Parts: sequence; C-alpha cells; structure tokens
Amino acid sequence: MLLELVSAGVVIAACLAIFLDEAVYSVAALAGALMLTSLLYALNGAIYVAVFQFAVGIGTVAVLFLSGETLSEKPSTKTQPRQLIVLSVLGALLSLPAFFLSVSQQNGSTYSVPFGEALWSYRALDVVLQGLVVMTVALGIAIVLYRKKKISKGV
Amino acid sequence: MDFVILSIVLLAIGVYGLLTQRHLLKVFISIELVATAATLNFVMLASSLSREVGEAFLILAFSTDTCVSAVILALLVIVSRKYGTTDISKLGEPEEEATEVDV
Repeated sequence: MLLELVSAGVVIAACLAIFLDEAVYSVAALAGALMLTSLLYALNGAIYVAVFQFAVGIGTVAVLFLSGETLSEKPSTKTQPRQLIVLSVLGALLSLPAFFLSVSQQNGSTYSVPFGEALWSYRALDVVLQGLVVMTVALGIAIVLYRKKKISKGV
Repeated sequence: MDFVILSIVLLAIGVYGLLTQRHLLKVFISIELVATAATLNFVMLASSLSREVGEAFLILAFSTDTCVSAVILALLVIVSRKYGTTDISKLGEPEEEATEVDV
C-alpha cells in the first residue's frame, strides 16, 4: 500500500511541476517528485541508488531554486487552490494504471553480485564515460570563452 | 513489470511538458522528469531481476545526468541573459527585435 501511495505522489508532484504557473512552485513540486522517487527506490531495496538520487536531487533543486528565483518573472495571477486540487486529481487519475497493475507485487532485490565488485569490474567503462563528460564540458567552456573573447574584441 | 507503467506515465508527462511549455525552466523540469522516468525504469528492472550491475551502472547514469543538467542550466542562463526573456517562442525572433542584453 505504501508503494502505491508513493507512486501516486510521484505522479501528482510531476503534474504539479509541469502545470503550475509560478516557476518556484514548479521547482518545489519537482523536489517532491525527486524525493518520493528516492523513497520508492529505498522501499524496493535499492538503497545505494536511493542515496545517490537523494543527493543529486537536492543539488539539482538547490540550483533550480536559485535560477528560478532570478530568471523568472512573477506571474500576474496567483496560484488558486482550485487549480492545485484539479492538478492533484489529474495526477491521481494518471497514477491509476500503476495502482491497478499492483505495484507492490514486486519483491526487493536479492543481490547476486556485490555492489563494490560490480563497480570495480566495470571501472574501465566508468573512466571512459567520465572522460567523455569532462571533455564535453571542457569543449563547452572553451566555446563560451572563445565567443566571449570575440564579443569583447568586437566592442 | 508494473513499474514500467509508472515510468511510462512519468515519461508522458515529461514529453507533454516539453511540447507545450514555453518557459525555459519548465522545459528543463520536463527534461528532468524524462530522465527520472528512464532512471526509474532502469532501477526497478535491475531490482526485479536481482542484477546489482544495473544499479552500479545507474550511479554512472546519475553523474552523467548531473553534468547534462549543469550544461543545460548554463545554456539557459546564457540564453536568458542574451535575449532578456525566458519564453522559448520569443527566441526565434530576429535579434534586433528581441531585447538583447550583453553576456
């Protein structure tokens, strides 16, 4: 039953995140969705993933709060309680398929390979992926700096 | 495989947001929801099949997802400062019409 409630909460929070007018409220709803997803992982026995999801979610939400506050203008109309209720009902309706397919029938994981061993076995792929990410970020920074230098030279 | 349905619902909400929302931050939130749906599917499949490797790979997916989010957010800030708006529909306008702010 708890899994069903958490699943419904994830869908409702996702609906609120998309459809609320004010950006800060949307970010708050996204925070709720990410935290409930983390709880869902923990309830299914994937503790490590839950911890990582929680950490990544907190970081993302903190940055999004800052950027949401600075980048977005205040909407002319305030969020009505009626709109919140309608969105919550919409989210609950959308989560009904997950209810009827009985989410809680799945068992928690029984680990066949230790977590550390799995990470260590695939460390080469890890290094390649991290290298790719770092190279992409470096390329992006180089392009931005080059463009900025070009603009300042033009002025 | 019931978690597949849940992740499909999340994916549908994210894609709907991508297609309909015009605010840059909402688009970013939609992308986050799509990524969360993919991750959810991955974790639940790995858990139900008792494959620890899937969860180990997911840690890598999280780090990549965070990098992607950081790059998207940086682009979002640059675009909003350059064009002075966070409305996607106004970004297609010629630069002289949009209120341009120096980066």
